[in-house]
Amino acid sequence: MSTELSNLERYQEFVDSLELIDDEDMRFEYIIDIGKRANDDDFPEVFKVDANLMHGCMSKVWIADRIEDGRHYFSGFSDAIIVKGLVTMMIESFSGLTGDELQDITAEHVRHLNLGALTTQRQVGMMAMLEHFQKLGRRADESQAAE
Amino acid sequence: MSKILPLQDAGPGDNSLTAFDVEKVRADFPILAREVYGKPLVFLDNGASAQKPRAVIDCVREVYESYYANVHRGAHYLSQRSTDAFEEARVTVAKFLNAKTEDEVIFTSNVTEAINLVAATWGRKFLGEGDEVIITEMEHHANIVPWQLLREEKGIVLKIAPIRDNGEFVLEDFKACLNPRTKLVAITECSNVLGSRVPIKEVTRLSHDQGALVLVDGAQGIVHQPVDVQDLDCDFYAFTGHKLYGPSGIGALYGKWDVLNTMPPYQGGGDMIERVTFEKTTFKEPPHRFEAGTPPIVQAIGLGAAVNYVADLGMENISAHEHGILAYANERLKAIEGFKVVGDAPDKAAIISFLVEGLHPFDVATVLDRQGVAVRVGQHCAEPLMDRLGIEGTVRASFGLYNTREDVDALAGAIEKAKELLA
Repeated sequence: MSTELSNLERYQEFVDSLELIDDEDMRFEYIIDIGKRANDDDFPEVFKVDANLMHGCMSKVWIADRIEDGRHYFSGFSDAIIVKGLVTMMIESFSGLTGDELQDITAEHVRHLNLGALTTQRQVGMMAMLEHFQKLGRRADESQAAE
Repeated sequence: MSKILPLQDAGPGDNSLTAFDVEKVRADFPILAREVYGKPLVFLDNGASAQKPRAVIDCVREVYESYYANVHRGAHYLSQRSTDAFEEARVTVAKFLNAKTEDEVIFTSNVTEAINLVAATWGRKFLGEGDEVIITEMEHHANIVPWQLLREEKGIVLKIAPIRDNGEFVLEDFKACLNPRTKLVAITECSNVLGSRVPIKEVTRLSHDQGALVLVDGAQGIVHQPVDVQDLDCDFYAFTGHKLYGPSGIGALYGKWDVLNTMPPYQGGGDMIERVTFEKTTFKEPPHRFEAGTPPIVQAIGLGAAVNYVADLGMENISAHEHGILAYANERLKAIEGFKVVGDAPDKAAIISFLVEGLHPFDVATVLDRQGVAVRVGQHCAEPLMDRLGIEGTVRASFGLYNTREDVDALAGAIEKAKELLA
């Protein structure tokens, strides 16, 4: 899909891969595979604290945010494989963006990351993740402005 | 108080000797013919909410198309017709429960509201500091939180009757919780998570011996077995319509009339008053005292249709059919490597909570969903029970009157698929 945002190469790779798969069940299995391949060492135990825990998720989801040169680099973990697949897609897709750029990510971007392979509930979960990223982006900008 | 129902009337459409033909039954539920994700729907989430038979769907449509109007008010034909149907539904529910009179049946929106009603009216009036209310470890949040709120307000003591590790309710353990300070036992008839059943009649007898009243959460009980409130002798019995193949937004609270008549109103408004002046208001007798405002008219009439539907099939027949499905499911599912049932009480309804070794319940449920198998996953509004069992959640397959052995086979196949995909 077209986007005016730069730095969305990884996102575009996911979208292209999903668009190549024309069977919904296969797309679903693609997301499972991403979850299974995720390297749990990328999210050490010390990150699994309440401050990083996303509330309201049916399975546990932790998101950590590292800021470098004004850009956000997310890492994440879930105890469920499918959710871990979604977390991986989301953090890899939208890492490297500035706080302002994060605000420009839309529901449409997220929708292209699952292409009908998910239940509404999971799609809501992905949107909640996006909102969480955006909140982290705003919070970082606000604290920078306050300094 | 209005008329007493004749005791010899066994209830609407009583034909409990009729053979149960599940294929014929399935044809009554239009939604069961649909597919999800290109696969036949296997609906095993009846514990959350059951599907609706054509009789209920047609009834609801007929009300709106033919005679809908507000009840208990209008001086016109449609209002009278709606009122008659609404009150007829109350009679139908009363007969189904074998209440002495329809005046013992209050329409509520669901069990949650029914329990809150008892806590807010009977509880506030009759419970004081130090009085004890007993619940069990396997209650739904709806039968925990209202009593906690009352504990905050009145200083009552909430006692928790234990269950065994296999989810079994043991009468002796419950008996140990009873004492002269016990004023109320608020207890599930059947665990929504484990399917474990509680011997309500014995619980009631023991509780009454201590002078305590008994409130039964029948949300999961009434859908699986016949209920006779006079035989149980419970003081309150709450159930919800949408789990009993009826519309959502409607349930009922049975209460012994003599108890109901001691209780103050729950909410104030129209329809529950005798006379209102700015100085003083007087209230109607039960059940109308507890039904303020325009009630869920169509839903109540639809509930009547649902009750007639299951009564026509015969609750004994439904119970026998579901027992057969449960036995088959136990045998079939326990043969799956890594399958672990959560709750294996000797006396249980057709509800199977489970885990699959090494897999997260959400992953399992999501793969099941993709196979067309609808189940519930999570804590099932029973967080304290999850803590008691030391688990974070389960996958729950809850069976209904239209489920078949083929549904169990589909569930077993989907679990194998989940193992294959997620391992």
